Amino acid sequence: MTTSTTTNDRPAFETTRTNTHLETMKANLFRQKRQISLERAKLYTQSYQQTIGEPTIIRRAKATAAILDHVAISIRPDERLVGNRTIRPRSGILSPEMDPYWIMSEIDTIDHRPQDQFEFTPEDKIYYQEVLLPYWSGHSMKDFINAQITPDVQQAQKDLVIKLNQTDKGQGHIIMDFEQILQHGLGYFKQQLTEKIAQQPMNDFFKAAKIVFEAVTRHFDRYADLAARLAQAETTPSYRQIELTEMAAMCRRLRTAKPTTFYEALQLLWLVSIAAQYESNASSLSLGRMDQYLYPFYQTSKAQGTSDEFIREILGDFYLKTNDVVLLRSAESAKCFAGFPTGYTVALGGYDKYGQYAVNPLSYEMLDLYEAIQLPQPNLSVRINAQIPRRFLNKTCETIRLGTGIPMLFNDEVCVPGFLSKGVTLDDARDYAVVGCVETTIPGKTYGLHDIALFNLLRIFELTLAALKDVPEVTYDLLRQTLLANIDHYVAIVTKGSDIVDLGHRTFAPTPFLSTLISDCLANGQDVTAGGARYNFSGIQGIGEPNLADALYAVNQLVFVNHEMTFKALVQQLDHNFAGSDGEALRQHLIHDFDKYGNDNAELDLECAKIFRHFALELDKYKNIRGGAFNAGAYTVSAHIPLGHDVGATPDGRKAHDQLADGGLSPMVGRDHLGPTAVLKSVSKIDNTLAVNGSLLNLKFSPDTLKGDAGIRKFADFLLAFTQLKIRHVQFNIQSKATLLDAQKHPENYAGLVVRVAGYSAFFVDLNKQIQDDIIARAEHRL
Amino acid sequence: MERGLIFNIQRYAVHDGSGIRTVVFLQGCPLHCLWCSNPESQGAVKPVTWYKNGQAKTVGQWYTLDAVLAEIEKDEIFYQTSGGGITLSGGECLVQADFSAALLRAVKSLGIPTAIETTGALPITAINKVLPYTDEVLFDLKIMAQPLAKQVIGDNVAFVKASFEAALQASETTVIPRIPLIPGYTAQMDNLHQIIDYLHQCGVKKVHLLPFHQYGSQKYHDLNRAYALEKTPLLTSEAITQIHDLFTAENIDAVVYGLD
Repeated sequence: MTTSTTTNDRPAFETTRTNTHLETMKANLFRQKRQISLERAKLYTQSYQQTIGEPTIIRRAKATAAILDHVAISIRPDERLVGNRTIRPRSGILSPEMDPYWIMSEIDTIDHRPQDQFEFTPEDKIYYQEVLLPYWSGHSMKDFINAQITPDVQQAQKDLVIKLNQTDKGQGHIIMDFEQILQHGLGYFKQQLTEKIAQQPMNDFFKAAKIVFEAVTRHFDRYADLAARLAQAETTPSYRQIELTEMAAMCRRLRTAKPTTFYEALQLLWLVSIAAQYESNASSLSLGRMDQYLYPFYQTSKAQGTSDEFIREILGDFYLKTNDVVLLRSAESAKCFAGFPTGYTVALGGYDKYGQYAVNPLSYEMLDLYEAIQLPQPNLSVRINAQIPRRFLNKTCETIRLGTGIPMLFNDEVCVPGFLSKGVTLDDARDYAVVGCVETTIPGKTYGLHDIALFNLLRIFELTLAALKDVPEVTYDLLRQTLLANIDHYVAIVTKGSDIVDLGHRTFAPTPFLSTLISDCLANGQDVTAGGARYNFSGIQGIGEPNLADALYAVNQLVFVNHEMTFKALVQQLDHNFAGSDGEALRQHLIHDFDKYGNDNAELDLECAKIFRHFALELDKYKNIRGGAFNAGAYTVSAHIPLGHDVGATPDGRKAHDQLADGGLSPMVGRDHLGPTAVLKSVSKIDNTLAVNGSLLNLKFSPDTLKGDAGIRKFADFLLAFTQLKIRHVQFNIQSKATLLDAQKHPENYAGLVVRVAGYSAFFVDLNKQIQDDIIARAEHRL
Repeated sequence: MERGLIFNIQRYAVHDGSGIRTVVFLQGCPLHCLWCSNPESQGAVKPVTWYKNGQAKTVGQWYTLDAVLAEIEKDEIFYQTSGGGITLSGGECLVQADFSAALLRAVKSLGIPTAIETTGALPITAINKVLPYTDEVLFDLKIMAQPLAKQVIGDNVAFVKASFEAALQASETTVIPRIPLIPGYTAQMDNLHQIIDYLHQCGVKKVHLLPFHQYGSQKYHDLNRAYALEKTPLLTSEAITQIHDLFTAENIDAVVYGLD
């Protein structure tokens, strides 16, 4: 057929479709049930069987190459970008080389477990049990780690104080240098590797990296061939044929050349991302500052006359693809990280290296497109600082008002100094981005093991209470000193445990492709796991600060200030989980008569801040096996439920096994009653700059406060105050009809929900049912 | 030492003046509006008792000036970014005029914007005490016909008008008249026309309309008091629009808020 052209003399493949096609593609993504795909595991294992005796990094590279060469590929109807990790959408893929056991223990429950179910076909189950499991049993990374775990680490795990993560999957929580790969193209890196090999022929890292880069090139070829075949198969000349022909040509170009258009840049970005997924099968190979590194391509394409509609169409395709990759987690892990957060996190805006606020038309387009698609990935965040232009701030507020919790906000005024305090250069610190859920990293330069361990501060407090129970004459100072000493004890252990996992990855799971795109691995010939990155952190999450704040304050007031009961009597009540009517009376007293974190009580908040500071500074005394720092975090994501299960009754009135405060730094549910300004003030007392690894604040907002232009204006002003208060992160839960219905059912969780009407003072939970019903009926139409 | 009886301090108020505000609700009010949504504040300046879930609770707590300032200063950063500040509400904040004046003066000296919500139902000396320290007056106009105002809500229209005009004359103070739209009372057409005539007389071109709501109903129950408007239905949005248009037709810019 003849190539037709569209208006403006644009090539025909840039012709856009109707508005509904993204909707159709979105629906197709979710049509089938999620399934487990063993394809990667099979190909990986078959390759391993053929490379016995070779160095691990070479074996890993060959296995990744085998996947790239042989995994079944597809181009789905209407797709503009190629690259599907699995043919069937949203399949979970396994890495038995990391941990073959957990899937075995869930083999018959994974299709109906409470969170994040996957189908597992009978044939695959048999293959797994008869081939994969026997092959990897005793030879996986998990086995290595388990053998290395020392008795003290084991004891700390048994004490339920520490949890080690990333023992069952590969490298994630990392951002590759997308700016470099887009600037230079694949060919440049292959060339660099060839030169390095000539200079240092004994270096296995370079050899391994080249094996994977060449396989990525061939992977592009495979897509080019497939696109060409599909184009030929179109029986009549059609736009689809034109599109497929261009996709084939583009894949042939990108096998070596650098991208020049926005379309090519997105294509290369996505396939590089998929290749890293095959190599690692990991959580959170995040996307970094997409609006920054893609902007030059956006400008070029716009200057050439590419339409906004076409840009939106391919970017929309990209957005959908980030929802295709779901993470298969164990039931335990799924409890902590529910809803398969794959971590295609994006940071928009923020300081550039000149210290100016960097926002451009693409930043706006990315928020607009989110509004149109509203899927959880890419998980957008906005970097806020004192210089944020009002227009972009308003746009951010309007997007938040949609009520989906996206975008999250990250505060440059906290994150940048945080990184500076850890030896990151000013240029690099200003270039930070979000990785995983709420962790921050320096893109393209960091191997940060951001999610390596959880450290349950509230559980340590519980153990401290138990240890002091029979000590005569306990004072508040003694309690506090013992708590700090126990924190020190477990910090030493958690750093040791993290290092064991770190070593496990070095020994079993080098990632040469990923590493090549992390500075300075290519320069110094080392994998990230061997310490090749410029920045080498390990992130340890301190858990339960809000409950700890409430508990410490209540103990001090009840026992040491008011002398209402003895320390021992209190601990006995806790041991009995507030049993009986006396116990329940005490619990109510503890809940209602002592102030709580989230209500801007400086004395209470600062005491908790001191404990957190102690924890962060103690971590700072240790170095990990790559020579990098241990950074404190303060987030739980959804782990506040399972981690709460590990802790007995506490003096904040929390019963044994009840959840902890959600998110990380949010007040305990139902315990704040002075509204969002008071919550921010409490959170700001904890020095957020010390939470270099990440923190999380969920803030509930009633929709009536966000109504209209005035609502947006006041919300934006609120966020400027948030910025000045130097709180690191916030995300918003806009109280919908559903939340209000829940408040009717569980008023104890919504003590702080205020009805905001001029000249009127009351809480939602104090209204009678009829009036509540009326507010609920209006809730949906408030914005 | 100045002391004030306060029954609530509400932070993050966004419907009580510009920006993000802290509203200080002062106890005591000379009026007895049947629709009052804060009935716990009516009457003399003294604490009252109500019953929540069968438990007696005291409403109203004495604050020193320093104590209430400490609460207000907690949200200083939010006032700065939003242009907000404090709003004295009630009750009728002019009942405790000396305390209100001292509080407003102290707050204003910190550079924090000040506002009051008032009905002006006291002799002019009361409002004159606070006006020098008040940036914004949200002035409720209710029933404008004298015998009726006295009968229904215990109001003295002469006081109201004198206070309103004093506020208008205060050169540093912005005045926004607000009309609670109560079916059968303030929202009666003849009353609205009287308000419009009066606004014309005063040369005022702007008004806020506060549609009737039932959020106070539970409070009457908690106070063990009868609530006369229990069965009164809310205004329909057509009725509200009609009232809004009535003002617009008279060249008075009307903003409906609080509910919609």
